[in-house]
Amino acid sequence: MATTTLEPRSGTIRRSWVIEWLTTVDHKKIGVLYIVNSFLFFFAAGILALVIRSELAVPGMQFLDHDTYNQAFTMHGTIMLFLFIIPALSGFANYIVPLQLGAPDMAFPRINALSFWLLPLGGILIFSGYLFGGAAAEGWTGYSPLTADRFSPGVGTDLWIIGLALVGTASILGAVNSITTIFKMRAPGMTLFRMPIFVWTVLVTAVLILLATPVLTAGLIALFIDRNYGGSFFDPSVGGNPILWQHIFWFFGHPEVYIVILPAMGVVSEVLPVFSRKPLFGYKAFVFATIAIGLLSFSVWAHHMFTTGAVFLPFFSFMTALIAIPTGIKMFNWLGTLYRGKLMLTTAMLFALGFIAMFLIGGISGVMLASPPIDFHVQDTYFVVAHLHYVFFGGSVFGVFAATYYWFPKMSGRKLNEPLGKVHFWIHFIGFNLAFFPMHQLGLSGMPRRIADYSPDAGWTVLNLASTVGAFMIAVSIIPFLINVVASLINGEPAGDDPWEGNTLEWATTSPPPPYNFDRLPPIHSERPLFFLTHGHGHAVARDEDLDETHEAQA
Amino acid sequence: MRFLGRAAGALVLLGLLGGCMLPPQPATEGGKDVFNLYLLVLGLALIVFVGVEGFILYAVVRYRRKPGDDVLPEQLHGNTTVEIIWTAIPTVIVFILFTFSMITLGEVDAHQDPGATIEVEGFQWQWTFNYEEGVTIRGEPGKPPVMAVPVGEPVRLILKSLDVNHSWYVPQFLIKRDLIDFGDARGPNELEFTVTEEGTYSGQCAEFCGTGHADMTFVVQAMSRADYDAYIAALVAGETPVPSGGSAECGTTISIVAANTQFDIDSFEVPAGTPFCIEFENQDAIQHNVAILDNGTPLFEGEFLNEPGTITYQVPALEAGDYQFLCQAHPTTMVGDVTVTQ
Repeated sequence: MATTTLEPRSGTIRRSWVIEWLTTVDHKKIGVLYIVNSFLFFFAAGILALVIRSELAVPGMQFLDHDTYNQAFTMHGTIMLFLFIIPALSGFANYIVPLQLGAPDMAFPRINALSFWLLPLGGILIFSGYLFGGAAAEGWTGYSPLTADRFSPGVGTDLWIIGLALVGTASILGAVNSITTIFKMRAPGMTLFRMPIFVWTVLVTAVLILLATPVLTAGLIALFIDRNYGGSFFDPSVGGNPILWQHIFWFFGHPEVYIVILPAMGVVSEVLPVFSRKPLFGYKAFVFATIAIGLLSFSVWAHHMFTTGAVFLPFFSFMTALIAIPTGIKMFNWLGTLYRGKLMLTTAMLFALGFIAMFLIGGISGVMLASPPIDFHVQDTYFVVAHLHYVFFGGSVFGVFAATYYWFPKMSGRKLNEPLGKVHFWIHFIGFNLAFFPMHQLGLSGMPRRIADYSPDAGWTVLNLASTVGAFMIAVSIIPFLINVVASLINGEPAGDDPWEGNTLEWATTSPPPPYNFDRLPPIHSERPLFFLTHGHGHAVARDEDLDETHEAQA
Repeated sequence: MRFLGRAAGALVLLGLLGGCMLPPQPATEGGKDVFNLYLLVLGLALIVFVGVEGFILYAVVRYRRKPGDDVLPEQLHGNTTVEIIWTAIPTVIVFILFTFSMITLGEVDAHQDPGATIEVEGFQWQWTFNYEEGVTIRGEPGKPPVMAVPVGEPVRLILKSLDVNHSWYVPQFLIKRDLIDFGDARGPNELEFTVTEEGTYSGQCAEFCGTGHADMTFVVQAMSRADYDAYIAALVAGETPVPSGGSAECGTTISIVAANTQFDIDSFEVPAGTPFCIEFENQDAIQHNVAILDNGTPLFEGEFLNEPGTITYQVPALEAGDYQFLCQAHPTTMVGDVTVTQ
């Protein structure tokens, strides 16, 4: 048994804890930085959500003026999407993908550190508008010509543009890194079709980022030129075309939806099989469905623009509806995984089940929105707000929490407390539905989104109040979560290498893994190397015997 | 079972909170088509919803691991037949949805000879309605503009933006269309609808347009051709038109007289679910009005009469229950009970 110690000895230079974290190029530390940074922005944007919901709880302007309200929902949307959900999932990808591939690190560790550090910089720039006369207030979609300097003269919009361009650059660098890592750094035996589903979803996501995000960056630069150097890309008064912005934004923006949801689907596809004690039903179908969603996502952008009267409705309606097919396949794969399994309802599993239950609702309302006549009625109403929150929050954020409960033991060496986790889940789940389900009805009855106030005669008061109560329940549910994280870090149950009887390679190393991850790797004959290590192909094989024939991690 | 109970409770709660999950009763021909399409889609959606959520709940109860059960379940990797079937199911649903959507789209977007063509100008943060007859209706802060349209005839709107994007939206018509300054790229958007019921319909801007977005409201008043012609003629003559069509709509009419800072009645009763009228006469030289409140929340606020005169209020339909009516200038002395019966 040849072993090589890969852990670098830091005996000669003693670096402080702070310097170590600030200068690290270890994918695991960077992953943790991503996740912690994302949660900080999540809390900031969550407070903005509470501000919005408090203002809308009853008719009349309570404590905000219209401009402050507009800034609040613009910052809420921008920060939640670009600085919480995407980076949180990138953080898990950063931490877990090299482990699942049996790799020692990401392909480009320094680029990895750069793409992380651009994030807090971009986020602070976006937020810093509040210090310079007001943050951007045009909605996270920043529609032209409202973003033109004559309608939005404040520097907040420029800071929003620059910050988003930086965050986008971070995404692009991260995507290059992920793709290279996945294609070039797989352990011996880890063929493409033996890769864990989470890696597949990260791969497709990275390709989407690489193709879509530069389009947004280009659009942001054009907008910056319009605002500051007399350009005329989007402003019709000087010969520009405002619809061009919508095309550019949504050509990025719809793949962006899948950038946000695919890795969360990957998380769920890791968690469900482990806690059902069965393989994912239809692994290859799931992979091809993921690729199909990725491809289709580039042909549906104008379904956000049905009411502009400037797009060809049948094509975009048809392509959008088509996405329901691969998505439906995935849904059935998950149900097939549960079928005749032996379900262990851990908190991670509850969040994964919550994901499929809630994402289904977002998927159904998405198919409804694909129908142009229905979209004509509910476009830009709270129905759309409900839909996108069932996808982003009921989907992606439930995925982020499933990932947190599932991989926390690997990252910290300690399990999160289960009873406290379940308290978190149930308050979160009920609060989520109370906050967002009534919005379907609000939208159907005609309440437009992004209005700071509504008439008491409109009949929207009760549902808005319910929604506000739900939003505060979600906030309350975060308290047991935070207590859980802190308490478990200090005094949690030690996790051991493999607390869940996992299937994939991250569970084959210590918790937390050493620098460069593995001393040795088990043989890889399937997408579940650890399962076969434990259970063999139908008969038990002792783990130690197998380990003796291992490949060196750094062959 | 505990999980099932909680989850079922949550679902029931959701159902109650979501209300009926239906758009408003449509008031246009196109709106009725959209409403019917919506019912079909909602039906399909409910089947999928109940099927999948039901299976998740069933799986959680039926397949939950018993404590101490360490035997692995059968390691089922897939089943081609089943996978082909469940690829076919969403495919069929998608094609049904697409086909009916396109049929409805043809109906909603149909162009006919319009009975009235109105140019709508949206700007931060107000509307202007320009009629072919040369009159212009312009909204003012706190006083949304009223767009008069004839009932039973196609009405064509030409939607122009004078600055940023806006969207003309009337929920009861189940349609909206954006007002966009396309520059030289193309002409303004158009929208056609045929209102089927006389009445007043509120609308507002649905595309975020800056600070005053929430205040960009308007009203569509649909009236018979004769009333419409009279209305426009009055506008052309420079008079303030009386919102007409009122008498035709008053099912129940309540008459209230204010004299010496007192109402002549202290209670009245109206049927639930139908609009009614209040004929209000002010005999005092000081201002009075009639408002209907539900425990302090105004459901209806009538226009003030500042001097002796008579006005007919059109009150929207109320749900069954007990409410109060009062004069908002004298809420303690001029007050009475409203009973809305089923």
